[in-house]
Amino acid sequence: MSTKGSMGSQIVTDPPKGTRDFPPEDMRMRTWLFNNFREVSRLFSFEEVDFPMVESEELYTRKAGEEIVGQLYNFEDKGGRKVALRPELTPSLARLVLQKGKAQVFPLKWFAIGQCWRYENMTRGRRREHYQWNMDIIGVPGVEAEAELLAAIVMFFERLGITSKDVGIKVSNRKVLQAVLEKYEIQADNFAPVCVIVDKLDKLPRDVIESELAKINVPSEAIDGILKALTLQSFDDLEALIGAESGAVGELKQLFALAEGYGIQDWLQFDASVVRGLAYYTGTVFEGFDKDRKLRAICGGGRYDRLLSTYGGLDTPACGFGFGDAVIVELLKEKKLLPKFPHVVDDVVMALEDSLKIKAAGVAAQLRKSGRVVELVIEKGKKMRWVLKQCETLNAKFLVLLGTTEWEQGGKVTVKNLATREQTVKTVDELIESMSALNV
Amino acid sequence: MSTKGSMGSQIVTDPPKGTRDFPPEDMRMRTWLFNNFREVSRLFSFEEVDFPMVESEELYTRKAGEEIVGQLYNFEDKGGRKVALRPELTPSLARLVLQKGKAQVFPLKWFAIGQCWRYENMTRGRRREHYQWNMDIIGVPGVEAEAELLAAIVMFFERLGITSKDVGIKVSNRKVLQAVLEKYEIQADNFAPVCVIVDKLDKLPRDVIESELAKINVPSEAIDGILKALTLQSFDDLEALIGAESGAVGELKQLFALAEGYGIQDWLQFDASVVRGLAYYTGTVFEGFDKDRKLRAICGGGRYDRLLSTYGGLDTPACGFGFGDAVIVELLKEKKLLPKFPHVVDDVVMALEDSLKIKAAGVAAQLRKSGRVVELVIEKGKKMRW
Repeated sequence: MSTKGSMGSQIVTDPPKGTRDFPPEDMRMRTWLFNNFREVSRLFSFEEVDFPMVESEELYTRKAGEEIVGQLYNFEDKGGRKVALRPELTPSLARLVLQKGKAQVFPLKWFAIGQCWRYENMTRGRRREHYQWNMDIIGVPGVEAEAELLAAIVMFFERLGITSKDVGIKVSNRKVLQAVLEKYEIQADNFAPVCVIVDKLDKLPRDVIESELAKINVPSEAIDGILKALTLQSFDDLEALIGAESGAVGELKQLFALAEGYGIQDWLQFDASVVRGLAYYTGTVFEGFDKDRKLRAICGGGRYDRLLSTYGGLDTPACGFGFGDAVIVELLKEKKLLPKFPHVVDDVVMALEDSLKIKAAGVAAQLRKSGRVVELVIEKGKKMRWVLKQCETLNAKFLVLLGTTEWEQGGKVTVKNLATREQTVKTVDELIESMSALNV
Repeated sequence: MSTKGSMGSQIVTDPPKGTRDFPPEDMRMRTWLFNNFREVSRLFSFEEVDFPMVESEELYTRKAGEEIVGQLYNFEDKGGRKVALRPELTPSLARLVLQKGKAQVFPLKWFAIGQCWRYENMTRGRRREHYQWNMDIIGVPGVEAEAELLAAIVMFFERLGITSKDVGIKVSNRKVLQAVLEKYEIQADNFAPVCVIVDKLDKLPRDVIESELAKINVPSEAIDGILKALTLQSFDDLEALIGAESGAVGELKQLFALAEGYGIQDWLQFDASVVRGLAYYTGTVFEGFDKDRKLRAICGGGRYDRLLSTYGGLDTPACGFGFGDAVIVELLKEKKLLPKFPHVVDDVVMALEDSLKIKAAGVAAQLRKSGRVVELVIEKGKKMRW
């Protein structure tokens, strides 16, 4: 059998550009992170879902100039179909909701943790894939839904030891921009493209933003009005600009009132510059940020009441957020809140003589049946020194040794308690009993 | 904002051909299944790993005629690179081991649960993706490693309520075929292609197998000898054919002796017809099967001591298995062992008056902080009945 490497040259051992391998320690960290995503979702009574990583390209061919669409990891499959590795999870969720049709009972509270992809020029050394935790509520029109989502995000941060001194969540509402655009009589069609452009205000110079807006026919008077509106940070200023009876004001005030009910008000702040870069948000928008301002957005979300109709279905109120696995880890490292993730076992079992290997397998089997994590030494000819080092590496609690003398006395083994260095001789039944009594 | 659907036509709401969505109940089943994979792996002290779903095509361009390579889900990415959605996990594992180079300490006991893909004609309504649980031991040359793997598979079955009456594991060793081929002086190069062909004996008629073997220049005398060897089901017959001192006999006997130590001997049976369809197996091979013979193979694995050198590295002893998520579920349904997976919460909290919604949020928050699963009623105007 031959493959490329057998001519003497080695295959490329790095993973493909922009992707990651997860060797054991990295995997333990990822599992820890995802378990926290899951546990918070569970406590909020959300149900987990998943979708294919490959979707039809048509799910993502939105025409509002979004970066996420411009960097789509798309390709033609062997049947000539235009598909893509999903750049986000929300469109798949919408597709699944539409699939169920009239049979679907609302509200839906669904979460997912899935890998998402982009294809961009690699000069900046950026990743092509990341995992994203999403929580979405479908079928609830009021901001009570956004409040649940924000409370979940805060609970997640708190579980990890992050406080409102470290992280904040900026909250705004796209109806603010909508009100401004209506004031200047800008067409509704232009709403999403305007949002996508002004979202880049923190990344691009003002004059670039102004020229992009001009390119889509936004008059300069409106451009000024828009950019001014995005500087607002108080409800009073907001009311002064668009009126107290406006939808945006009512929703924002109600959202902040609910936040007080949850006890999360210290985490939130109204900031009209938050627009987010996805075309389909229609109401509340929010973004988690690092108060030291060193990192990119930690998470982001909002309401998207008209996504389903763009797919040919009936509009259904919906809101949700995406929370990536990259920035949060950088933040935890910054704050020295990232734990270490050693491999931990309960017992290491070894036969001191080859003739006892078969019996050692039985001892390991019995211990594992009782729920203990057991490393059975299966390599030949290992000396005590090596085994003791293994015990240390594995953070083992007990070393269980099979020796002929003890075994011939009714199946006894030598047990070394690695914490106390105490050594005893007993049967495996006795061992299991004593371990469970000690709760070790 | 416009997308294809906004002209009135609906997007296709089914997932892409051959793929699955996992709405809540299906997801709960999948989570339950994967938790069992994980828990068994954990008890055996294996460490979880993961690799990218997209890999360079070169990892899979083996030339032995394997079905898995013929059905590769490959494509060219936007940079013109030839890549593929992985059809299996083992090559990625080998790549990661090679990556670590001399710094790698052995043995490695790694497991993974990952989605794998194939691209084949869809007329048979088959899936294009499935999840596969893999456990691999790298760096242990003796069959003690295969024994650990088999013990893990049995523990998994037992956890789910499956018994050795329902399922068995056929065990053989590619050294049997190797001994037969050496007897007929067949070139070593042909070893893998021969294995891949004879693996199909249970799916294709004998004469088709014979003609495929003839096509790769295996003489008819050898063909007879090979096919006869594959019918053996006892160690005595095996010894009579290839000799008691042969590597295959020693390894198989030792493996079955270790199996007795684990208490899993009732699950295993020697059956020389097990060859498995992957080119890279070099020693022990095994396959889990349904004793009612209604289903396809449940899982399969073996030893692959020379995979790393085909990638340009140093040979390292290795063995492992793959266990898919499809057949096991069919089996559990057959045996009525698949539990139901309802959504379960601890508390439902609701404000009877709108004015108390904000306080209700606080109540839910407090209950959740204490670790309870709480559904907060956030829809307006719901009656007690609902």
